[in-house]
Amino acid sequence: MSSASDHRDAARQIIAAIARVLDAGALGTLVTIVDGPHNVGAKLLIEQTGTRTGTTNDAALDEAIAAHVQTFLNSHAEAQTFKVEEFAPELNDWRDARMLFERIEPEPHVVVCGAGHVGAALARLAHLVGYRVTLIDDRADFVTRARFPETEIELVAAHEGWASALQSVLGTGRGRYVAVVTRGHNEDEECLRAVLAARPDYVGMIGSRRRTNIVLARLREDGNGDELLRAVRAPIGLDIGAVAPEEVALAILAEIIATRRGGTCAPLSAWRRERD
Amino acid sequence: MGTISQIELYRLIAAAHARGERVVVATVAHTRGSTPQRRGAKMLFFADGEVAGTVGGGCIEAEVWAEARAALRTGRSALHKFSLTADEASEEGMVCGGTMEIFIDVWDGKP
Repeated sequence: MSSASDHRDAARQIIAAIARVLDAGALGTLVTIVDGPHNVGAKLLIEQTGTRTGTTNDAALDEAIAAHVQTFLNSHAEAQTFKVEEFAPELNDWRDARMLFERIEPEPHVVVCGAGHVGAALARLAHLVGYRVTLIDDRADFVTRARFPETEIELVAAHEGWASALQSVLGTGRGRYVAVVTRGHNEDEECLRAVLAARPDYVGMIGSRRRTNIVLARLREDGNGDELLRAVRAPIGLDIGAVAPEEVALAILAEIIATRRGGTCAPLSAWRRERD
Repeated sequence: MGTISQIELYRLIAAAHARGERVVVATVAHTRGSTPQRRGAKMLFFADGEVAGTVGGGCIEAEVWAEARAALRTGRSALHKFSLTADEASEEGMVCGGTMEIFIDVWDGKP
């Protein structure tokens, strides 16, 4: 029997576990019974490490949910409901019940190397769409609050060089989307070397095809593998014909969103012309 | 009142919980057709009438608010379906015309 007090204790444990996942920059899945014969509102949090918090109050259902979590995570969806019969048809009591699966993870963290015109515009745009933003430059007077009054944009002056600043910002690289848009190719190279070590979810570097080829060739000589280098978006951004710095920033952010959400980058209207 | 980050959202729930207050969490669980918010979008309703986040504004906002207020009183969590027929949507000049299922969930606090 679950009492109101048990219900509150369960909520407290779930809240604490979610805070732990978010603070650690980790990934978890929160599953809630949203429709069913009983226990509506009961929750189970499954962390990427396998740690479980809470319960649906049915051990067999908990097991079935845990087995289905990876399928949900692979879909890129932020939230999705499943009927139990879709993933555990053997659980007759629950067949028509519906479970809400939700990704628990910090919002994407866009890390911008270089606070020039493109970097500044990218930091503001990424902030506007709700992403966490860190803007790094080795010129302290380019990353001041006077230039960026948006207090949610984290400003980092790379006094000790780009590599050490990036190391502490990138952590494990999970959930990080890095744009290398510094003032020069030597700085870009220094950044990219540090960024690749952290293997973020996205990394792009500004420059012409020729210039970016030179930088990538040097990194290859340093022993970086082809697979790692092929993942670098260089030149950075989608081809939307961007010219102005703000337009270039938009092209970069569009590529970041497409990476995160699994977008094709094709016009949504393309099917009309294909049919003709 | 825009979208809200998960960190901020759960910080607000934790704070209400620690104060021993009830908080209602509305989550877009499922959508069909054209709807004004993504699946997973959340809105919080506090006992003192404050709100945070959004599940999509205009089209269904009034109905969601009414259900959330009722849940604050009754303490019952339930899945609600909100339909936006093409007729209603176009009459109101709204962009949406699909259905949204919103889970209205009660989190009871414990000081």
